[in-house]
Amino acid sequence: MKHLTFKQEVIQGIYDLFYIWKQEFRMTFRDQGVLIFFILVPLGYPLIYSFIYTNETIRDVPAVVVDHSRTSLSRKYLRMVDATPEVKIVSYCTDMEAAKLKMKEREAYGIIYIPNDFDDNIAKGQQSHINLFCDMSSLLYYRSLMTANSNVSLAMNADIKIQRSGNTTKRQDELTTYPIEYKDVTLFNPQNGFAAFLIPAVLMLIIQQTLLLGVGLSAGTSREKNRFKDLVPINRHYNGTLRIVMGKGLSYFMIYSLVAVYILGLVPHIFKFLQVGNPGTLSLFILPYLAACIFFAMTMSIFVRNRENSMPLFIFTSVPLLFLSGVSWPSSAIPEFWKYFSCLFPSTFGINGYIRINSMGASLRDVAFEYHALWIQAACYFITTCLVYRWQIIQSRRHIIAKYKEYKAKTAF
Amino acid sequence: MALWDVLKRECHRLISRPLYIYCMVLGPLFCYIFFTTIMSSGMPVNMPVGLVDQDLTSTSRQIARNLDAFEQTAIVAHYPTVNDASTAMQQGKIYGFYYIPEGTSAKAQAQRRPTLSFYTNNSYLVAGSLLFKDMKMMSELASGAAARQVLYAKGATENQAIAYLQPVTIDTRLLNNPWINYSIYLNNTFVPGILMLLIFIVTVYSIGVEIKEGTAREWLKTGNRSIYLALAGKLFPQTIIFFLMGILYNVYLYGFLHFPCNSGIIPMLFATFCFVLASQCVGVVMISALPSLRLGLSFASLWGVLSFSMCGLSFPAMAMHPLLQGLSVLFPLRHYFLIYANQALNGYSMLYAWSNYMALFIFMLLPLLLASRLKKALIYYKYIP
Repeated sequence: MKHLTFKQEVIQGIYDLFYIWKQEFRMTFRDQGVLIFFILVPLGYPLIYSFIYTNETIRDVPAVVVDHSRTSLSRKYLRMVDATPEVKIVSYCTDMEAAKLKMKEREAYGIIYIPNDFDDNIAKGQQSHINLFCDMSSLLYYRSLMTANSNVSLAMNADIKIQRSGNTTKRQDELTTYPIEYKDVTLFNPQNGFAAFLIPAVLMLIIQQTLLLGVGLSAGTSREKNRFKDLVPINRHYNGTLRIVMGKGLSYFMIYSLVAVYILGLVPHIFKFLQVGNPGTLSLFILPYLAACIFFAMTMSIFVRNRENSMPLFIFTSVPLLFLSGVSWPSSAIPEFWKYFSCLFPSTFGINGYIRINSMGASLRDVAFEYHALWIQAACYFITTCLVYRWQIIQSRRHIIAKYKEYKAKTAF
Repeated sequence: MALWDVLKRECHRLISRPLYIYCMVLGPLFCYIFFTTIMSSGMPVNMPVGLVDQDLTSTSRQIARNLDAFEQTAIVAHYPTVNDASTAMQQGKIYGFYYIPEGTSAKAQAQRRPTLSFYTNNSYLVAGSLLFKDMKMMSELASGAAARQVLYAKGATENQAIAYLQPVTIDTRLLNNPWINYSIYLNNTFVPGILMLLIFIVTVYSIGVEIKEGTAREWLKTGNRSIYLALAGKLFPQTIIFFLMGILYNVYLYGFLHFPCNSGIIPMLFATFCFVLASQCVGVVMISALPSLRLGLSFASLWGVLSFSMCGLSFPAMAMHPLLQGLSVLFPLRHYFLIYANQALNGYSMLYAWSNYMALFIFMLLPLLLASRLKKALIYYKYIP
């Protein structure tokens, strides 16, 4: 073997890097399996999820009524509840048993019960109660029923107060109902929509998970193809760790830059999701996210021994990862241990940063913590990837030497 | 006996690959523990909230103290201006903030109707809407307190004042989950959902890998060339393991964590058993329809992951597009969720969930339709990478 100077070696390395990059690129586009994960899933999944949540929120939750008061006031109350967007009264029952039956038959998810002293109490100047029974199988039912009824009762209370006070001017009426006024502002998702809240997290998660699956698949394939079932092929271009890691990483990065533009730019645009982020900020933020995800996926691909194994290994992690990110379950309520555990995954920082940039218009400085964390992750996973590949190179060399010795021992006889 | 031979063969296969142990035991176990511990508080408490108090009087401090005393709200920081608070929100430090403008108490005393306002970040919907509830309540109370002062001054008794301020009140009865415990709400469906996803995958994998590695004919031969015997022998050991995992989560959720189980545990174990069988059979259908390991697994993954949204737990099915409402019938998890709500949560009679049990039985019969197709695939199908 001839000895190379450092300069020659660097040039050779860069040359090999691009050779590996080209190989990986070619392999990706020739392999239907990888293409499904890299192109088809990122194209399709966001569309499916957006379609599922396209109505954003639930309207007209069916409720039944048991009205024992049967007065004009109770009817007014029920009319007002029925008129809210949240609740629809589907049936009037004579007693609670009939109403419960409706619940059991899933025709209604709530019962509004008005006792017979409802109007009397108001007339006597006493407090009057309305009972609301909520089915708790899905919290959105309960939330709709609760919102509608409390809003109607507040409006009705205001009316009753005005009637009783004997005011003469409108200003006095206002003062009677609300001596201190209040305004509620729901920021960044004014309609309380499900899509606006969940889809951004899902979009970011799709990037990480499809990379895990795709890179795992391609690693499994090369193991199956290569002699001795090693990750690294025996080829003079695959001589150094850095050139393999960088070459492969570069080819994934190029593909995913385009995928990211589609997922994070085009999909929200098509479905008219909230998009107040600065595209420049977003691209700067996505850079370390992609790097961290790619090297994370390359490190994890060491566990994939066969082509198809990446799916059984990684697919079920998607649901726990979504919870770890602190979107569906507030991160302030996540126990310490899981909080530290969540730092292992790029998705945790990626999702939070993306939501804040895209939905809340944060600047890069506002997401500095996530941004730095992603760079640190990218660096750490780059090192682990190098270690893993270094180990694999040594492993495959050992296999060659062992094979060579075996061969020699055979021919010696 | 042929069935016995297939059984023995399958048990050997299950032990020989760590992947099976990972997917059948370790994966579900991790998720059981993960989901129940991450939501162990049941309801998020003391979520961080900011305060912009420009009034700086005893009244405004009283409001702040009261707000802080709400179970789910914790005032973690004071900001001089609304701008600072909204920046803190963008930085993810707080989920919302309460704004008391300058001169609030002076205006209130002079009957000039000051305005309070509160802002919640609904990009984080759960946190946002819970805090919204607290802050709205606080604002109603603030307004009520001011009015009550006037009433007391006029000589009203406490009862009179309350009846005047709030003539109509709503008493809400939250049936069977009065704590609004999110762990009860989500984990009763998520935990079985994870098990289902892994059942799909293991079923598809264990059949698909036979085709891939060219052992499918040998498998069929061991089963006396009967696809039914071969399938039964292959799936039965998996059924046992998965059902054991199913029993485990039932015991864990209802016995150890004491989640509401108004039907008793036996009906839930029955539902779990049907659910495991139905999931396995759906897995068989998947690999029969797409007899390539990779495509079969992709199908299983897609269906399994979508189940979590399509079951209608977090986002009710009736709010979805009618097309999706129809499709949701094809997800076993949807039926399990409805059975659970009927049985364990509400303790209704099993009769009211007959359609869902029926659906699970129909899932179990589906492989019969595709058995001949699967047999052909086992004999003739060539593995395509």
